[in-house]
Amino acid sequence: MLSERLQLKLYLEPSAHFELEALIPVFHRFIRDQVIKDLLIDVVDYSHVPAGPGVVLIGHAADFYVGALDGAYGLIYSRKRGGPGPDARLEDALRRLINVARLLEQEHGLGWRFKSNELSLRLTDRLHAPNDEATFAATQAEVEALFGRVYGSDIAVERVPAAKEPLSLRIKASSSPSLEALLEKLGGPPEAAS
Amino acid sequence: MTVATTWKQKLAGQVREDWAREIDIFETQIELRKKGKVEEKLFAETRLRRGTYGQRYDNGQRHDGEKTQTLPYPSGELTKGPVTMWDAPGMQRIKIPYGKLTAEQLDTLSELAEEYSDQILHITTRQDIQLHFIHIEDTPDLMRRLAAAGITTREACGNTVRNVTACPYAGVCSTESFDVIPYADALTFFLLGHPDTQDFGRKFKIAFSGCKDEPCGLTNFHDAGAIARTRTVNGEVKRGFEYYVGGGLGAVPYPATLFDEFLPEEELFPITQAVCRVFARLGERDNRARARLKFVVKKLGIEEFKRLVLEERAKLRPDERWTSFLKDLHVTDEKPLKPGSELGSGSYPEGFEAWRKTNVHPQSQKGYSTAKVTLPLGDFTPSQGRAMAELARRFTGDSMRATVEQNMLFRWVSNADLPAFYQELKKVGLGAAGADHITDVTSCPGTDTCKLGISSSRGLATELHKQLSVISDQLDPAAQELHIKCSGCSNSCGQHHVADMGFLGVSRNMNGRRVPHFQLVIGGQYKNNAGSYGLAIGAIPSKHVPKAVKTLTDRFVAEKQDGESFQAFVARIGKKEIRKLVDQLAVIPSYEQDPSYYSDWGDPREYTIGDLGVGECAGEVVPLVQVGLADSERELFEAQLLLDEGSSDSAAARAFSAMVLAAQALTREKNSFLGEGVDEIVSEFRTHYYDTKLFFDPFAGGKFAHYFFRAYEHRGEAGGSKEGAHQLIEEAQLFVEAAHQCYTRIAGALP
Repeated sequence: MLSERLQLKLYLEPSAHFELEALIPVFHRFIRDQVIKDLLIDVVDYSHVPAGPGVVLIGHAADFYVGALDGAYGLIYSRKRGGPGPDARLEDALRRLINVARLLEQEHGLGWRFKSNELSLRLTDRLHAPNDEATFAATQAEVEALFGRVYGSDIAVERVPAAKEPLSLRIKASSSPSLEALLEKLGGPPEAAS
Repeated sequence: MTVATTWKQKLAGQVREDWAREIDIFETQIELRKKGKVEEKLFAETRLRRGTYGQRYDNGQRHDGEKTQTLPYPSGELTKGPVTMWDAPGMQRIKIPYGKLTAEQLDTLSELAEEYSDQILHITTRQDIQLHFIHIEDTPDLMRRLAAAGITTREACGNTVRNVTACPYAGVCSTESFDVIPYADALTFFLLGHPDTQDFGRKFKIAFSGCKDEPCGLTNFHDAGAIARTRTVNGEVKRGFEYYVGGGLGAVPYPATLFDEFLPEEELFPITQAVCRVFARLGERDNRARARLKFVVKKLGIEEFKRLVLEERAKLRPDERWTSFLKDLHVTDEKPLKPGSELGSGSYPEGFEAWRKTNVHPQSQKGYSTAKVTLPLGDFTPSQGRAMAELARRFTGDSMRATVEQNMLFRWVSNADLPAFYQELKKVGLGAAGADHITDVTSCPGTDTCKLGISSSRGLATELHKQLSVISDQLDPAAQELHIKCSGCSNSCGQHHVADMGFLGVSRNMNGRRVPHFQLVIGGQYKNNAGSYGLAIGAIPSKHVPKAVKTLTDRFVAEKQDGESFQAFVARIGKKEIRKLVDQLAVIPSYEQDPSYYSDWGDPREYTIGDLGVGECAGEVVPLVQVGLADSERELFEAQLLLDEGSSDSAAARAFSAMVLAAQALTREKNSFLGEGVDEIVSEFRTHYYDTKLFFDPFAGGKFAHYFFRAYEHRGEAGGSKEGAHQLIEEAQLFVEAAHQCYTRIAGALP
């Protein structure tokens, strides 16, 4: 993946209402207790913005969003800088995303479940990953290879048509493994992001 | 074909040569700083002049509610300014002159928020756009991409001429004398990088308004404010400006002073240039707290200041740019995309009527309206930004304005298009009604991201919005039109002084813990270009502020007389009545009963971790110093009442007395034998708190102590003006606040 910046999203199972406010103390605790190994900096509440990023856990190398930026609630892992080389970026992002999704599912106060087989990928780097056919083709191949291996099933990849948006892909696996199983396939909880 | 691997390559030839060069230089300075070849203070001023700010926690320390933790940034000890870690995310301020945005510019800004920031674009109270959580090393590319869209961040911060603001209705407003935009536009670029604006001791803000009575330009609190005026001379209509200088909010707000009731249009630029030269020459350098132009004007008096400016004006070498723009004042005119029309009858989309009532206003041009997009706290997403850009292309032909109320204004909407326009807004979550009404609470960033924030102004604003939205439909129209503004600290970025109800973040020690509070500021006037400033009535625990708003609003609705404004209502019932409410709300449950009072809005971390040795009875024991500080606040309130009664000298004396009481309370912590004599109190305070720097604010240094010393030097001087007494009360307020903070620090309760 040429793009250093990327956003990988896992969708939440529909629920009557998501109390995003309930997430704020959880994210603060993630920072305080260093629940994940990344350098985490702050929590920002954008839940007042309709179809916005929601509640954001700001990190140095990457952020985590729980909101409805594309209209549906889910968790986004947003890599901003650094990280592994091009060949390992997508897998690294998936591992970190699944890890935090799993931790959020374990927060009983939230009562959230993620749809493990539905994801989206956005390449937020218009210089290295323009929203064009060539980038899509290359990304599609990479996504199919990685997700096919991790999910052990067929993977459908669809390009989201929106000219001015960053290149966006919807990814659907035909199987729905548990987040724990996916994380195990990916090598377990990740080390600190570089 | 060569594939561009950098934005510099990709945008080659698309950026103005001088802007491209400036950004290249900035990028080089970043590299030099990384190698330690540029001194950190110099680098800090360099980046600030390009709008690249620090943010909260950029000292590498963060309090997690229990303890302070170090943030182990990978670049280690490398800094981008004094105590500002290199890797700490920062804020990029982007100047948008008079708030005007094209669709292309908004597309670009949206891309930048998406790629470098946290998916949010934020409109400020001065028509800028801010992006948060930006890494310093991303800023050159960010600036290049902006520059390719015709936007420079040069002089967005630092001791420079800041964004030139103007009424967003200019050119389409029925109350304006003429369209001020060509003047604001030309002055922006005349002063940008001008040699006479590069050596200020502090920032310099300019605002334009098309008329005097409305609030849109807010010229009264700007360093230079220009209100459009016309005058008929020998049958010919001449254009000019009612020109004001020396206004400003900040810790102590000063109303602007009239410099010239009719400054001819040809003289606007040279006089402003001369004002800049006088400011550069005479403005304070050592004490930042007294470095704004308002202090120069105050110190010299307007007549002497004017004499110096005119003297400077006479020395200026003529510059063709002073008047060249006057040859074509239509250069900034906007051409509507569609012909004007009438709004058709029939069925409208759900919610349209409510939105139209609050967010749509007829233009002076028949058949057109302005339509305001309500943006909660001034925030919107990149997708919403692109959607608004498309709306501009489809309906208005590129006209948008970021407003000081943190909304987006569209102009030239043909009336028949209003339902379709609204429908499109709704699709992207932007169809909320209530723009510039009571639910549309303005706020600065506060503790969310600002290094100076004391209380969570955005958290409070969000909560007020939430609670008021539920009842807004049932509110009396007079209540719906109230303005609420919140600032996280005394620097007034939320412009709380000019709201009907303003809130200013402070903290208090209660029950042995630190508790977030907001001072209630009442009596400000938004109309007449922010015609007058309110004063603080008293501090309310943050969690009680919504109750205060509801109680005040209900009482206003129940007791207002015909056509009475909120400001007039407050003046009629008296501040004593309001103070009673504040006093009722001052009491909070103990921590054990309800710990939520000890956290701020939207932030569950405990506001304090200070262990003050709270024993079984500690919650009931009030230390003597707190009694003294409470006395000083009461004295301050009495000063306000005297001011309202027109007794300026007595008010000033009482304000000074409040300072003395606060100083005495603090100083008795160090010298229990301290007497009642003012000379002794001042002397001992100086010894124990000023000379030792114990009283110094982490950011403002000894500023607030200077207020006290100056008041002491001038005590007893009779014949002071109402404005002078007003300022002294403001200064006393800040001194007392600083005394509270100082006590908290020495008591060990501050994290």
